[in-house]
Amino acid sequence: MSTTTAQRETTGASAAPARRRNRPKRSTILTIGMVAAAAYFLLPLLWLVVASTKTTGDLFSTFGLWFAGENNLFTNIANTFKADDGAFGGWLGNSLLYAVASALGGTFLAALGGYGFAKYRFRGNQAMFMLVLGAMAVPSTALAIPTYLLFSQAGLTDTPWAIILPSMASHPFGLYFMRIYADSAVPDSLIESGRIDGAGDFRIFFQVTGRLLTPALATVMLFMLVQTWNNYFLPLIMLNDPDLYPVTVGLANWQGQASSSGGASGDYIPLVVTGSLVSILPLIIAFLFLQRYWTTGLVSGSVKQ
Amino acid sequence: MNPRFRRRTGLGAALASPLAFAACGRTPVRPPGHVSRAEIDEAMRTPTELDFWTWVPGIEKQVALFEEAYPAITVDVTNAAQGAGHYAKIRTALRAGRGAPDVAQIEYEMVPAFTITDHLLDLRPYGAGELESQFVDWVWAQVSGKSGEVWAIPQDTGPMGMLYRADIFEEHGIEVPATWEAFAEAARALHEADPEVYLTNFPPSQGAFFAGSLWQAGADPFAGSEGADLRVDVTSDAARRVTEFWAGLAAEGVVSTDPDFSDQWYQAANRGKYATWITAAWGPVFLQSTAASTSGKWRAAPLPQWADGEQVAGNWGGSTNGVFNLTRHPIQAAVFAQFINTDPECTKAMATEQFLFPPTKALLEDPEFTGMELEFYGGQRVNEVFAQISETVSPDFQWPPFNDQVRADYGATVGTAIAEGGDAVAALGDWQDRIAEYAEFQGFTVEEAS
Repeated sequence: MSTTTAQRETTGASAAPARRRNRPKRSTILTIGMVAAAAYFLLPLLWLVVASTKTTGDLFSTFGLWFAGENNLFTNIANTFKADDGAFGGWLGNSLLYAVASALGGTFLAALGGYGFAKYRFRGNQAMFMLVLGAMAVPSTALAIPTYLLFSQAGLTDTPWAIILPSMASHPFGLYFMRIYADSAVPDSLIESGRIDGAGDFRIFFQVTGRLLTPALATVMLFMLVQTWNNYFLPLIMLNDPDLYPVTVGLANWQGQASSSGGASGDYIPLVVTGSLVSILPLIIAFLFLQRYWTTGLVSGSVKQ
Repeated sequence: MNPRFRRRTGLGAALASPLAFAACGRTPVRPPGHVSRAEIDEAMRTPTELDFWTWVPGIEKQVALFEEAYPAITVDVTNAAQGAGHYAKIRTALRAGRGAPDVAQIEYEMVPAFTITDHLLDLRPYGAGELESQFVDWVWAQVSGKSGEVWAIPQDTGPMGMLYRADIFEEHGIEVPATWEAFAEAARALHEADPEVYLTNFPPSQGAFFAGSLWQAGADPFAGSEGADLRVDVTSDAARRVTEFWAGLAAEGVVSTDPDFSDQWYQAANRGKYATWITAAWGPVFLQSTAASTSGKWRAAPLPQWADGEQVAGNWGGSTNGVFNLTRHPIQAAVFAQFINTDPECTKAMATEQFLFPPTKALLEDPEFTGMELEFYGGQRVNEVFAQISETVSPDFQWPPFNDQVRADYGATVGTAIAEGGDAVAALGDWQDRIAEYAEFQGFTVEEAS
């Protein structure tokens, strides 16, 4: 089934005439639905891009979804990076550190765990896996407070570890996904042949079977990257030192200043808007970059068996 | 309501509930009966680091003045978040028993949330008892406990008033309404004369505005609550009058119901869709920077009244500095909270540079403060208007120990009903039920008005 879908995908993309023949199958309702969905997701993005080009005055007095007369994008970007002694650049760097470290570490753990669950039979395999599934149902926000208590006991609050360690371990979806993927993508015969050749389990994993998991690794990594990048609550309660804030906490802080009842709040509003735009660019880049591995991987994976 | 949301908030609140004890970490300071001058002097000469969590922009100025006066003390300011995030962070650290700040910014409405969990230090023994005469009565009542404890030092307030567009009023021949009845008539007349313009906007999800409105109308829904005994009466005649008033105007379509502080609302304020903004003393400066295109057209006035000839106002916003009893430096922390909120230079800078509306009698009578003429308001002495309003705020208004939950329930019941033209008075009953149900679930003994 998946094979045929994949084939249709590949032929469809390169053979436009074939698609034209299929025209009557198009559903108007579906098209409208998809356009509406696309608009729903893209309009806020458009708003963000447009709003980033405006001064505070224009922001509140001109139409939200179209540009005002003058373009202030570059002034806004410059101001965003200059404000509070260049705090924004530091926040971006912190977010990058937390997200990349958590994604690399978390993906590695998920790969080990998922592969283990999929390919080894041991007592409690099922029970432990069910536990992982159960953990998926617990919102990570609810875990933030117990995590704080643990880290507070260990004296690790207000350090980068307080973000990286929990982020590495708190995405059971990655483990779940790796297990499902390893189950179908890694043939038992491959492991057996590795054993016959005298390779140990770790060697088989790192040099043979692990490579088959690359597409899944890309997916899980992307997922964790986004999760950690966007995480607000955990760093909010863990960190006090402004030099450690990731971009989410930093921007929320600026937004607080902007909406705070006090004085010259107008200054912060364009910074929050432009900062939000800049802060999603790394994610967009990561998506474009990793998506390649992801889609080609899924296709090749499904054709294999 | 989404069941998952409820479960989660339930968990968060359970952590902060009176039944939850800090199992580990430091033990709370038991306030001594009296701290002598000599003890205070000695503590203030001992090198100390204080943690202060606040969201007030520019507070570094007051901190610097304090450090200048007490060179042995260093204050580390953490500005992580405002509102819900700020309190979540504090509660987590308090629950852990370590990592909590010595001093924190706390809104008036959140003070009971920290006294119910027994986390605030009574500041009386540290000299705060003698400060009462410096503060406006109703403000002092907000930070005072049942047996005279001083739970926090007031920093700024938000007595409510009305900002109005003098040009729109003039164009349509509207007099500044002295009563809510006159306000309603003006709302109808204005909207009929120009369907694009509304006399005001009722923000349906702004529980703080509604609470301030109840305050003005003389409703005091949680009066008499103490400790684990909660009294709730949000269905009193006064509450009903406020609700019927706004629900009626909204149903007639003569006031708009946009969420406030949203993009749409800012745009509308600039476009002249609203002829008034019912706001608080922090509103004038705020509007000045966010509706810059309407400069010179606004004026300030007291709120319309429920009874002709009366002058009563409510309060919306403002905050305090409280000291947590997990602090290792109770004397230094208490002196810090008092210093930045009573030292003449500190408080003057707050009022005239940071634009925090002052709670101290000295500043409210200071011609340098009240005499400030704001160009945005056509040169009007706006501070003077609000200083007079501040004298008319009733001292009788008590906050519930879980105000965030009460707010959320307000939005889901009364706020929604007013905005969507539902039965708002019935929604008051729903609100009451939800509060009672939640309180019982949290282990309070609930006494409802019959």
